Amino acid sequence: MGLDYQLVLWNKFKKTYDKIIVLAMLLYVILFAAITLTFNSETSIETLIIRAFGSLAIIMLHIILIIGPLSRLNSSFLPILYNRRHLGVSMFIAALIHGGFSIFQFHALGDVNPIYSIFTSNMDYGSLTNFPFQVLGFFALLILFVLASTSHDFFLSNLSAKIWKRLHMMVYIAYALIIAHVFLGAFQQETSTFTIGLLITGFIIVSGLHLVSAYKEHKVDKTSTNGTENWLKVCDISEIEEDRAKIFTIQNERVAIFKYDGKLSAIHNVCKHQGGPLGEGKIIDGCITCPWHGYQYLPHNGQSPPPFTEKVSTYQLKLENKTVFINPKAFDEGTEVEPCKY
Amino acid sequence: MEIVVNIILAVLGMYFLIGILFGLYFLFKGATKIDPLMKDTKKKVRILLFPGIIATWPFLIKRLFKSKSL
Ligand code: HEM
Ligand code: FES
Repeated sequence: MGLDYQLVLWNKFKKTYDKIIVLAMLLYVILFAAITLTFNSETSIETLIIRAFGSLAIIMLHIILIIGPLSRLNSSFLPILYNRRHLGVSMFIAALIHGGFSIFQFHALGDVNPIYSIFTSNMDYGSLTNFPFQVLGFFALLILFVLASTSHDFFLSNLSAKIWKRLHMMVYIAYALIIAHVFLGAFQQETSTFTIGLLITGFIIVSGLHLVSAYKEHKVDKTSTNGTENWLKVCDISEIEEDRAKIFTIQNERVAIFKYDGKLSAIHNVCKHQGGPLGEGKIIDGCITCPWHGYQYLPHNGQSPPPFTEKVSTYQLKLENKTVFINPKAFDEGTEVEPCKY
Repeated sequence: MEIVVNIILAVLGMYFLIGILFGLYFLFKGATKIDPLMKDTKKKVRILLFPGIIATWPFLIKRLFKSKSL
């Protein structure tokens, strides 16, 4: 929507969230150090930093992975979802500190290249209990680097949303690598049982929430397609809140039906900016406002108000005795459609 | 095994090196050709984009060639 790229699209809320992230990270590291030193006062500062930031990174990764399904189950988590990118970059920084210090402590003091040393200082690749687990951490960190470094809007628009999304799905590969990294590493460390217990609990929570939210979406998708002729019956008008929308899946496309000023309008649910769910946004100043970063669209034609040029496709609606019907065929992006009055 | 490690690291190293060289050209020249928003984008922002360009240069090169043939 802007005319050039900015460093970060900050607004008041995001600044507050970022402050919370930084403070929480600091607090965690301080607490971790205090607790470790109380129980084991001989821990060296390097080991402390490695463990504090490694565990911080994996905790943050869990939070990042559960925000998606949580906000699909309950919309009060949405504000955190909008800030997930900053959380991701912060997590990468924590992981980088952990990896960097590990390389420094274990690999930088010899006469071989430190990166080469990660791969070759332990060549026991066939073993389970003595596997060179740091190699797995290295590849995970590499993936996290790609994700963090391409989190700016520039990459979303220049790699195309499809490739960007695919790249960012690699977070699940990174998650698997990190689980293996910690699991196999734990065999070689004294922390083992506690660490493994937490790891398994975390995995159950992450995969459980993904399954539950996928099941719920599947159910929503099913209920919406019982139609008569070309018109599909979608819902009763009272099910939509004023100045809000309800989202339906119409022939595999997500459509948001908005109710405002005694009118109904339907548009494609996907924001042109970064694919944000328009139907989870509100009507503000007469415009559908994307909940993610505030791009706006006029409900009756799916166009951003001038001077902006974004357009989404629109749909035709009709009302019969308080029941809303939709014509499943989408109009071209930005097509004017007479809103349905009630 | 040592050979495999050597190959992986050599490929990674070359990927990054090409990325850095391409990135320098792309940031200050090429990017504007595929994205008009880059014309007025400040230097600070460009530097922020640099690591990502190193990471994804094969995609960006493809875009650059496509836009030139138009
Ligand atoms: C170059 C990359 C990496 C290297 C060289 C590396 C190295 C290590 C080492 C040496 C340990 C054992 C530390 C100890 O307990 O004394 C460890 C543990 C750990 N690593 Fe990594 N790591 C890397 C990347 C990562 C990444 C990307 C993550 C997660 C985001 C991660 C998460 C962890 C965790 C959670 C532990 C267990 C911490 C603990 O024992 O309390 N590591 N890593
Ligand atoms: S996704 Fe960014 S404003 Fe809609």
